[in-house]
Amino acid sequence: MLEIKNLHVNVDGREILKGLDLTLPAGEVHAIMGPNGSGKSTLAYVLAGKQDYEVTAGSVTWKGEDLLAMAPSERAAAGVFLAFQYPMEIPGVATMTFLRTAVNAVRKARGEPELSTPDFLRLVREKAKLLKIDPEMLKRPLNVGFSGGEKKRNEILQMALLEPALCVLDETDSGLDIDAVRIVAEGVNALRSPDRAMLVITHYQRLLDYIVPDRVHVLSDGRVARSGGAELALELEESGYAEFGEATRGEAKSGAAA
Amino acid sequence: MELPAQQFRTKAEQAYLDMFEGARKALPGARDPFVSGLRSKAIETYARLGLPHRRIEAWKYTDLRARLTDVHPLLSAVGVPVGEADLAQALAAAVAGLPSYRLVMVEGDLRADLSDISGLKAAGVEVVSLAQALEKPPSWLKAVLGKVNPRDDDPVLALNTALMTGGAALRVREGVTLDKPIHLVQLDGTGEPASTVTRNVVVAQPGSSITVAESFGSLGIRGLQRNAVTELLVGDKAAIRHVKIEREGDDALHLSTWLVELGADARYDAFQFSIGAAVIRNQVYARFAGEGSALDISGAFLMRGRQHCDTTLLVEHAVPRCTSRELFKGVLDGEARGVFQGKIIVSPGAQKTDGKQMAGALLLSETAEFDSKPELEIFADDVVCGHGSTSGQIDEDLLFYLEARGIPEAQARALLIQAFVGEAFERVEDEGLRNAFAAASAEWLSVRLD
Repeated sequence: MLEIKNLHVNVDGREILKGLDLTLPAGEVHAIMGPNGSGKSTLAYVLAGKQDYEVTAGSVTWKGEDLLAMAPSERAAAGVFLAFQYPMEIPGVATMTFLRTAVNAVRKARGEPELSTPDFLRLVREKAKLLKIDPEMLKRPLNVGFSGGEKKRNEILQMALLEPALCVLDETDSGLDIDAVRIVAEGVNALRSPDRAMLVITHYQRLLDYIVPDRVHVLSDGRVARSGGAELALELEESGYAEFGEATRGEAKSGAAA
Repeated sequence: MELPAQQFRTKAEQAYLDMFEGARKALPGARDPFVSGLRSKAIETYARLGLPHRRIEAWKYTDLRARLTDVHPLLSAVGVPVGEADLAQALAAAVAGLPSYRLVMVEGDLRADLSDISGLKAAGVEVVSLAQALEKPPSWLKAVLGKVNPRDDDPVLALNTALMTGGAALRVREGVTLDKPIHLVQLDGTGEPASTVTRNVVVAQPGSSITVAESFGSLGIRGLQRNAVTELLVGDKAAIRHVKIEREGDDALHLSTWLVELGADARYDAFQFSIGAAVIRNQVYARFAGEGSALDISGAFLMRGRQHCDTTLLVEHAVPRCTSRELFKGVLDGEARGVFQGKIIVSPGAQKTDGKQMAGALLLSETAEFDSKPELEIFADDVVCGHGSTSGQIDEDLLFYLEARGIPEAQARALLIQAFVGEAFERVEDEGLRNAFAAASAEWLSVRLD
């Protein structure tokens, strides 16, 4: 479903991804772990199409198409969804207006009819309930004054509404207490399906207690240094990332390539 | 600094003097000593000052003398036929159809057929056509005309007093609260370029509460030159919510002056929405004359091409315990230029003054420009005053967030622009007006999307 080959990416003239390979089949959940600075968030942003992330070599193929040639909104329409580590606050845009604009933009791009107001409201209420989101919250400006947990739940709500085929979760557990992690994880698990792939990016193993991955990849210095089953995450919890160059952030050390 | 009498006059400066000489015998109130006295004094003031130019601090960014090369002849009402469809066309449907007591002035002439004069009278508001009232002004009008926060240092205001030909004068009875806005519509001409000089006078007697919306449009005239003045007297414990909507065609000159005076425990909330015209100067002179009052003067402007919009405010805290707030937001595209000059004067003894102003512009192109100049003159020691100004481009991170949710770039930009000006619209209490502004800005943005 998702095929990343020899991906090299520069940010501000510095090479962050240095030949990353990854294959994510439909229906599977893969975790991306790794020390700070290993390129995890860069991978997330490149998949979503953020500007200023310069791909110097390699390819990303999504359902047989060249993902890198698509504009960010086209990727969203093609089913790619990034749950942001730091969701943006937009004063002046009501959350509900934003959700509706996004849902209808994606539906339009997919050749589906726009949802009527009552249908849309029904859908939002149903999905919000699952994530324990107070409908009153949705009347407020997008993410403005939301707690960390509210912001992350709002991300998962968007994911549920847009029904993507590829979910990329960037450090979705960061800054959340354990109860909030559980609610978010339940929301994510509810979206697991045979035709949906997920990439769960996390520094800590904690989130993977709740979202159990099919595969775990450890990123180090811009490449996948090791891959394994769910047990690899537990192993890392024990040993830490020392083996993968935690102390050498931002430096091109090759010790991780082992 | 007082300038010496001007020796040399530009062609345009002389043209206004000639216009006055040519029209003085025919102007409304020519035979009334009070009105002709006002006019004579005003034209003397103008003759002394000339047109304002960039070396006058208050006109630093809008050099009217240099910009105004040709003065168009004074428009006289010729009874242009105007119907509902023309109103909707000139003002945008949402504005024309605003639920209100509507008073329509076509070429300065108050048109009974398009106006709800009887409804307004029944609700407790005296209404007179200024053109008629100037012939023999009622005593209440004499008591206020040219006397609300008066100034003798403003040539644009002086020209208006000398040449005013139409408009409406309203007096709201003590204690009256209106159930819907009074909508003053000024529409001007078809055909040849012309000048129009109008004045509205609004007196809110003690304890009354009203919303006044002024909208300006044109009926397809080319090169309209408008000089509009509104005098507003907010009585003790009275409240006026005041809104201006300007949309006059992209070659118009729009000079607007508001003179506002507040009594004690009064409230004035104003909003200016500017979208049309080539050159716009919105000046507001507001003065607190009674303690315990509050005002909010805010606005939004959307400019493109080579449009120029100058907002210049002067708020005088002459007495203690008053609060003033200003928030202006502008969107500038192409080579458009926005100007914000906000001056707050706190007189000696005006303790417990609380004054804050904020101006921000969103620049959509490399060539758009925003000049912001806040000025605080504080002569009291127990006051809280502040100002701020921002100007910048659309935040790329916000844009990416919206795009990542499937919203195409152009639509995402439009949403962020609307959110930016929308923050200013929040200051408007009347929902119908807020929606009209949102609709007008959406229409403005749709041009960008095409």
